[in-house]
Amino acid sequence: MITLEHVSFSYANGQPSVKDVSFHLPKGEFAAILGPNGAGKTTTVRLVDGLLQPAEGRVMIDGSDLRESRVSDRARKVGFLFQNPDRQICKNTVREEILFGLRTVRPDLSEEALQARAEETLADFSFTGKEEPFSLSRGQRQRVALASILAVEPEVLILDEPTTGLDYRECCHIMDRIRKMNEEKQVTILMVCHDMEVVLDYARQALVMADGRLLACGPIRDIFRDTALMEQASVLPPQMIGLGLRLGGTFLEADTPDAMADALIASLRKGGTEK
Amino acid sequence: MNNLFEYVPGNSFIHRLNPITKLLLTVVICVAAFVTDRLPVLLGLLAVNLLFGLIAGVAGRTWNILRGLLKIAVFLFLLQALLYRGGNPVFWIITDQGLLTAGKVVLRLVVVCMPLTLALAVTRISDLTNALTQVLHVPYPYAFTLAATIRFIPQFVEEMNGIMEAQTARGIPFDTARGLKKFSMIVPLCAPLLISSVRKTDQTAAAAEVRGFRLRTRDSAYKRYPFSAGDFAVFACCAAILAGAILL
Repeated sequence: MITLEHVSFSYANGQPSVKDVSFHLPKGEFAAILGPNGAGKTTTVRLVDGLLQPAEGRVMIDGSDLRESRVSDRARKVGFLFQNPDRQICKNTVREEILFGLRTVRPDLSEEALQARAEETLADFSFTGKEEPFSLSRGQRQRVALASILAVEPEVLILDEPTTGLDYRECCHIMDRIRKMNEEKQVTILMVCHDMEVVLDYARQALVMADGRLLACGPIRDIFRDTALMEQASVLPPQMIGLGLRLGGTFLEADTPDAMADALIASLRKGGTEK
Repeated sequence: MNNLFEYVPGNSFIHRLNPITKLLLTVVICVAAFVTDRLPVLLGLLAVNLLFGLIAGVAGRTWNILRGLLKIAVFLFLLQALLYRGGNPVFWIITDQGLLTAGKVVLRLVVVCMPLTLALAVTRISDLTNALTQVLHVPYPYAFTLAATIRFIPQFVEEMNGIMEAQTARGIPFDTARGLKKFSMIVPLCAPLLISSVRKTDQTAAAAEVRGFRLRTRDSAYKRYPFSAGDFAVFACCAAILAGAILL
């Protein structure tokens, strides 16, 4: 679904750039980009949405080269949730905000269909529709921004640090809704996230970046278990993975965080000697 | 525009001048541009601006200002040339007096817009604030307000660009629209810009309060701003510019 082929980009003012980045994410994948500040993560997701044009290489969404279409024309297919929701919100009520996004990219739908979809989205996000977005908390504003994007039902969703500044409950609200979209509608997700616990809980693939280069791409647990790679990318793995690595347990093979926790407890009871 | 007000580090003669001297030169150039009605004097003032930029080592910034003013200058020139009714016809409804007036209006616009931007490019905002309070005895809250306004301009521009980018990603065709259509799309976005600006202002005010904003007086700054020989030389130049604009 998302393909980058030898993509390079550099800013004129010397901000972090990306160098020769290539990867492919199939439809329905949930991937997270990891790396320290200045690694080129945000630049990469901006390249994927076409907000930046690569100096070299090409970016393709669903087989189409991004140079062949404009960002605004792709909004039906690609949704982008920015770190700052206030840049996306521009209407006086949550209902108007959701309808604004829908009317912009779905002019083919009738007014009744638009209203029905807005109603469905409002219920899904537990909004009445009358709330004033700018009076809501930051986490709720982030949910409004996400709701207006998901109402459009994009095929690809790009998230630039969606949980920054949110408390655990708000973070779970947002990420659970994104996972639901990923699992039920096979929406391809590409997320930049600094919270490794969130990455471990929700993403299936990880792309590790440092100094603008892609160091590795693979299943999330394989990536977190590679201590040399984590050190090279200045990434601290989630506590559970770190503890597991120190204990040397096989529970890291478990599929879900709950299964990992059970295996970890079993490993601790055995005295952490199992290799 | 985003970096038009950014400080350009350097050690040129202009950089070393007292911030008040640079401010005075700016005011004098602007006053002279409005006092005079003669094209050669306006051209001379433009030359002073260009010299200002060259000596300060900010030729690139000077060129950017001129390039930024080009569109509005062309628009104003055409407007004046087409609407002026006196003089002898030169082409269609355009007269020689119309061309002269249009030239003067455009030159005046360029001459007035350049010096403050150039002065800010070679003066740290903190130095300007301190010098205003120490030398001109401007109350610190007023000097701070001026400094904050200048500092916020590039931030607001960046914020607006961010809003437009986010809306483009939502499907608003900012990447295709031009002119009036683009302007009509920008107007509804003023609400989020205004709200984020008020939030930012509140945060800045709170940050200033906790850092002892109200305790600050004109003697609080460690750095002093005495006038040097160079400053007096520029004062003489200012007097000459003003006299030239009035007498010529």
